[in-house]
Amino acid sequence: MPKLVAPKPSAKADPKTRISIALAFIAALGLTTFAQGRGEAPGRAGGPPASARAIAPFDPTGYWVAIISEDWRWRMVTPAKGDVVSIPLSPEGLRVAEAWDPAKDEAAGEQCKAYGAPGLMRGPTRLHITWQDDNTLKIESDYGTQTRLLRFTGAGGATGATGASGASREGGASGASRAGGGSGASGAARTAGARTWQGVTTAQWTMAAGGGRGRGGARHGSIKSITSQLRPGYLRKNGVPYSDRAVFTEYWDLHTEANGDQYLVDTNLIEDPVYLQTPWITALHFKKEPDGSKWDPTPCDARF
Amino acid sequence: MKRTLFLVVGLFAFGAPASAQIELTGSYSPILYEDYIERGPGSDLGDFTGMPMTDEGRAKALLYTSNLPSTIERQCLAQAPWVLQYRPLGMRIWSEVDKDDKVIAWKIEGDYLRDTLTIWMDGRPEPSPNALSTAAGFSTGKWEGDTLTIHTTHVKTTWIRRGNGIPASDQTTYWVHITRHDDLLTVVTIQEDPFYLSEPHVVSRVFKFDPRANQGGRSICNTANEIPRLEDSGIVPHYLPGQNPEADFMTRTYNLPKEAALGYAESLYPEFRHKLKGTYTPPAACGRYCCGWIERQGLPGAAPGLSCNDGGLGELHPVVRSKQDGEGKPAPAKK
Repeated sequence: MPKLVAPKPSAKADPKTRISIALAFIAALGLTTFAQGRGEAPGRAGGPPASARAIAPFDPTGYWVAIISEDWRWRMVTPAKGDVVSIPLSPEGLRVAEAWDPAKDEAAGEQCKAYGAPGLMRGPTRLHITWQDDNTLKIESDYGTQTRLLRFTGAGGATGATGASGASREGGASGASRAGGGSGASGAARTAGARTWQGVTTAQWTMAAGGGRGRGGARHGSIKSITSQLRPGYLRKNGVPYSDRAVFTEYWDLHTEANGDQYLVDTNLIEDPVYLQTPWITALHFKKEPDGSKWDPTPCDARF
Repeated sequence: MKRTLFLVVGLFAFGAPASAQIELTGSYSPILYEDYIERGPGSDLGDFTGMPMTDEGRAKALLYTSNLPSTIERQCLAQAPWVLQYRPLGMRIWSEVDKDDKVIAWKIEGDYLRDTLTIWMDGRPEPSPNALSTAAGFSTGKWEGDTLTIHTTHVKTTWIRRGNGIPASDQTTYWVHITRHDDLLTVVTIQEDPFYLSEPHVVSRVFKFDPRANQGGRSICNTANEIPRLEDSGIVPHYLPGQNPEADFMTRTYNLPKEAALGYAESLYPEFRHKLKGTYTPPAACGRYCCGWIERQGLPGAAPGLSCNDGGLGELHPVVRSKQDGEGKPAPAKK
């Protein structure tokens, strides 16, 4: 019969116990690291959180060109007045589209109405993307010479794959639509101020599972950005409108091909309680270019 | 000690990310807010806008007539792998697992697919270049973060896009990236063809998770004689080179220059606008397929209150559905 022996009181654990404790600690550390990858931005212990640039799972910087392989007739040239196909306009949206008058826009100094963020990204443009600072991504277009700023928020501007982004938690796109004027959008977007063609954009990195673990190997993730505070503009060059209550949500992914080609894919939806019946959802793709030799700044044009 | 080791190993096993980062299983509806004409009623003949075609591809496409798919030998050419990028219905995705619950393949059944796509995840090598080409081709996949990246080879000769004869050879290959953001599924296809494409043809579409959609349908192609005079006659409907009356359809209808409409790669890039500026003028009015809503205006299911020219399926006339008439009666055709 086995003998039950009470553990000896000892200030020093026996070797097996010490190994067990050490292994359990290592396991716990592993879990913590994993959780960090899924849910929060990795930061320096005891220090400030790492910046959005520091934790970026991919490099979005460089020159990118829109490949107009979809909706060519509506993106590369200005379609006929009243051609609103593919866009789920409300009756009021249609009424406004059918009243489009580029001469009026020119007279009002609003030649850039089709170059606000939602229209701009569908335009025949090149993008030059750089980090303006550690937490701000600058996106310049040669088409209409516009500049967008994606301001990363939260600790390092990251969120886990399964978690909602900070912006979403604070109201996000649909909340902003309901509230109107971006009042339900993220903190940055709530800031009072003049509405602009490019509005106010908050962004978050969404780390893929394993992507932010810091264990070496390839890291993966995407950017989720939300833009509000937009000045009323056009979704399409022929006067298809969005209102100042529109909220523009984008998911940015990078795909690298076996031959080295890189594509930046912008899946986006625009919600507008005034002119749209449902969110207008599309995806755009940009190909990386080796340099800026084809960069061709052109001013806003209300007609072409 | 052994128990502790098991515990540690177990903790790591649960803590490590699964090899499949995102659950893709489910039905997805397409969001037809891009290229609606192509994906809804079907492409116009002679509309190769947005395509990077070789001269050979363009020449072959211009031989096409809409009777060509009525020949039995060609009735399935439209049902290419990844044709769901150009179709109005959706797809269903599911996984197949081995005895250890490890995903060995993802399966996709979708609108107008000729066969279910099988995307092997078990690391098997691609077959020999001389292996049989099949309706679904041979696909392998790997996870890159939350994106499923797929390579498809060994396909049959098909058409690209929908309904206007843009050819793809059996040497076509695809790289495909499937990424899910919340309920949205972005599918990027990068198609290469050494014969008919002068550069990769890139398309990005969005689908939406729809648990009620029951998408998928049958993945099959049935053939049948559709036009008696074609039966066993050896006739192949076609236009002779240079004689396609629709070659200038886009010019006649939308004022586009031929080099814009006929699939030259340069037309895909912003600098092409320099060639258009000063020569292109928009049509005076929208004459066909103008409405923004998916449903035809004035028909059941259409968005109420819209008045736009939905044309396209017959005589071009505005259909007015106002709050006043409430019935969606078509307005008399303008003379």
